[in-house]
Amino acid sequence: MLEYLIRRLTGTIPVLLAVAAFVFLFVHMLPGDPARLVAGPDATPQDIAAVRADMGLDRPLVMQFLRYLSDTARLQLGRSIKTHQTVAELIGERFMPTLLLTVFAMAWSVVVGVGIGVLSGVKRGRWQDQVAMVLAISGISFPGFWLGLLLIDLFSVRLGWLPTGGYGGWQNFVLPAFTLGTAVAAVMARFTRSAFVEVTAEDYVRTARAKGVPERGVIWKHTLRNALIPVITLTGLQFGFLLGGAIVVETVFAWPGLGRLLVDSVAFRDYPVIQAEILLFSCEFVLINLIVDLLYAVVNPEIRLR
Amino acid sequence: MRHVVPRMLLAVALVFGAAGTAHAAKDLVVGFDANLTGLDPSDLNDNLSQSATRLMFEGLYMLDEHMKLQPQLAESFDASEDAKEFTFHLRKGVTFHDGTPFNAAAVKFSFDRAGNPENHLKRQSLYVMIDHTDVVDEYTVRMVLKYPFGAFVNNIAHPGALIVSPKSVQDFGKEVMRHPSGTGPYQFVSWSADTLKMKKSEHYWKPGVPKLDTITYRSVPENGARIAMLQAGEAQFIFPVPPEMIKALQNSPTITIFNEPSILVRYVALNTTRKPFSDPRVRQALNYAVDKQAFAKVVFSGYSDPMDSPLPPLLGYYQKQGSYPYDPAKAKALLAEAGYPNGFESTITGGAATLAQRGMQFVQQQLAVVGVTLKVEPLEAGVLTAKQFNVTGPQDATIVMNYGGWSSSTGDADWGMRPMLYSKSFPPVLFNLAWYSNAATDSAIEQGLATVDASKRATAYSEAQAQVWHDAPWIFLGVDHTLAAYSKKLHGAFMRPDQQFTLTADADLD
Repeated sequence: MLEYLIRRLTGTIPVLLAVAAFVFLFVHMLPGDPARLVAGPDATPQDIAAVRADMGLDRPLVMQFLRYLSDTARLQLGRSIKTHQTVAELIGERFMPTLLLTVFAMAWSVVVGVGIGVLSGVKRGRWQDQVAMVLAISGISFPGFWLGLLLIDLFSVRLGWLPTGGYGGWQNFVLPAFTLGTAVAAVMARFTRSAFVEVTAEDYVRTARAKGVPERGVIWKHTLRNALIPVITLTGLQFGFLLGGAIVVETVFAWPGLGRLLVDSVAFRDYPVIQAEILLFSCEFVLINLIVDLLYAVVNPEIRLR
Repeated sequence: MRHVVPRMLLAVALVFGAAGTAHAAKDLVVGFDANLTGLDPSDLNDNLSQSATRLMFEGLYMLDEHMKLQPQLAESFDASEDAKEFTFHLRKGVTFHDGTPFNAAAVKFSFDRAGNPENHLKRQSLYVMIDHTDVVDEYTVRMVLKYPFGAFVNNIAHPGALIVSPKSVQDFGKEVMRHPSGTGPYQFVSWSADTLKMKKSEHYWKPGVPKLDTITYRSVPENGARIAMLQAGEAQFIFPVPPEMIKALQNSPTITIFNEPSILVRYVALNTTRKPFSDPRVRQALNYAVDKQAFAKVVFSGYSDPMDSPLPPLLGYYQKQGSYPYDPAKAKALLAEAGYPNGFESTITGGAATLAQRGMQFVQQQLAVVGVTLKVEPLEAGVLTAKQFNVTGPQDATIVMNYGGWSSSTGDADWGMRPMLYSKSFPPVLFNLAWYSNAATDSAIEQGLATVDASKRATAYSEAQAQVWHDAPWIFLGVDHTLAAYSKKLHGAFMRPDQQFTLTADADLD
């Protein structure tokens, strides 16, 4: 097990290096000069040269790349071109808001989504299934920004129960976590249902029934356990995506998260911030994949980690 | 144990009782679409961060809510006849938030720092004309310029020339943008992610003010959410409010709409070095072909005024030039005269924001009436600036019609014309996207800078405006209104004509 973990983690180093190199080349290929964008339209050539020199953008690209690689290897992420803050600080301020929002949104949406999916799978074709799937389709189709604004209008402006946005106490989490989780819950419900239905048709489920296992046992032990494998995969993927910052929800709820930071950074071609964020997201995905693989083994002891 | 509980209750009651009898804290929350970029005044170029620094820092001079020059840390100034020497007499008894005194040495330090190219600060161009700064005595400072610069006092009234505490720079170095220390009415508390907090300065030099206890800046990018914040009472001032959303706020009994003309002009810069725009008749024809009233109505829901000069009315030395009335027949006649009886095809380029796209589509529709077929090319900001500035001269410009806007950040006519209409301001140097070059305009712009004499400057800018209006290097569209909204409880909050959020010294909440 430990050996497996070490092997998996060391295996990610070349992946991350490749990502780092790729991201560097990609952001520098984007048209647009960060010095010009940061200095503004009424900046004179001196002003722009000042920004360029300040951020080392006047050095040859190869030198910038080597510098970037060696800095990144030592976890030196540099400073934002736009605000001069250290990238570590910029990301640090926004990491917890994004992580907590993701955790809350995923927590309710996975429970509700899987619950609805199982119910639909068990009662497939009946009215419960139809109601659940109408809900799920609505959840997927409802645009997040629209749902968010409707919720703000109802709960913040009309009723005055919850704040309109911003990061703070638990009240601040309710609306964004609900909005963010809605689409996830809907996807989870549909996915769980189809995985469930698929497993129900398997031979071993039929065998279980034939040898007289009670229906409850068939559903929970034989069907759900196996149906959960793809559901866990999906949960991991969704978690990874949301950790990358939910741009729409963060924007609607003025949430100081990583998604808005990335959008702002791209707008200003803030190379160090873009690079660090993408690298962070890659690390998160690698980690989540590892956790997902470990969870497979927990859910289904027949899966061995090698 | 039994005694502890009542005692605790008593303590709690006392605490709450005490809080209840003290005056309610006056906490102002303002919501803006953008986020701050920093708090080092000489290293900023966005209105939002500048407005925040202007609450914490002060300059020798300032522009008030009407863009009028007012003394702030200086009480008065003398200028030499040739506009090359400026002597400022400073206010006495002022201290920075870090406790150090404000004096001539602090002014010299601040100016030397911001103007030194080695410090790589974004606003150093405000200082390029300064040769050196002398401390005459404790409260007198003299700036000697390399060449005459008539707009100098306006230049130093720019937020890029706010005076910073020398100690704060020595203590924090580059990190001073996270530890601002000025002489302003409010002092820094914290800045994290998208929230800036300031509190009242207890030692402000002007007696009786400030009246607000705290000010919080929040970045709320979504228009609807920002409006909801104001409606829910979480914010007392929001900017911007999109023109089409004013209606939603108009009938609220607790909210006031702020609707005033700005100094932001909207225009289409026509590449005057390229056919067909090299012919002034074509450029004039396009001006006759666009209905400016309809532009205001369609694009800005009426919150815009037609341009009647290259300068907006609220900028000093503005002079009304007349109008290019909507006259498609005349436009067609002029086009025919210039050799384009059937019009021509071209491309209009601009930003990708909703308002910019709507503006370009409007121009497209108007010009179609006179036979000019436009392709609308909305571009993301980075791509757009690359296209505008990655050029060495007019020969490799790829933009022929640029839909854009300009607001003079110094509040002076010089910066309202020189960057866009002076032949030495071709990209990549500055923003002359029309590649407009006229010796008469150039000389008028130079004369405007060569003196501090208001009547001589007025003559110069009057000539420049008339020449540009006649040459029509732009399709003159409109002057934006600034649209914001605030709680009726709030007094003394404005958007200045340059769209900078401003609080009067006695700003207060009921």
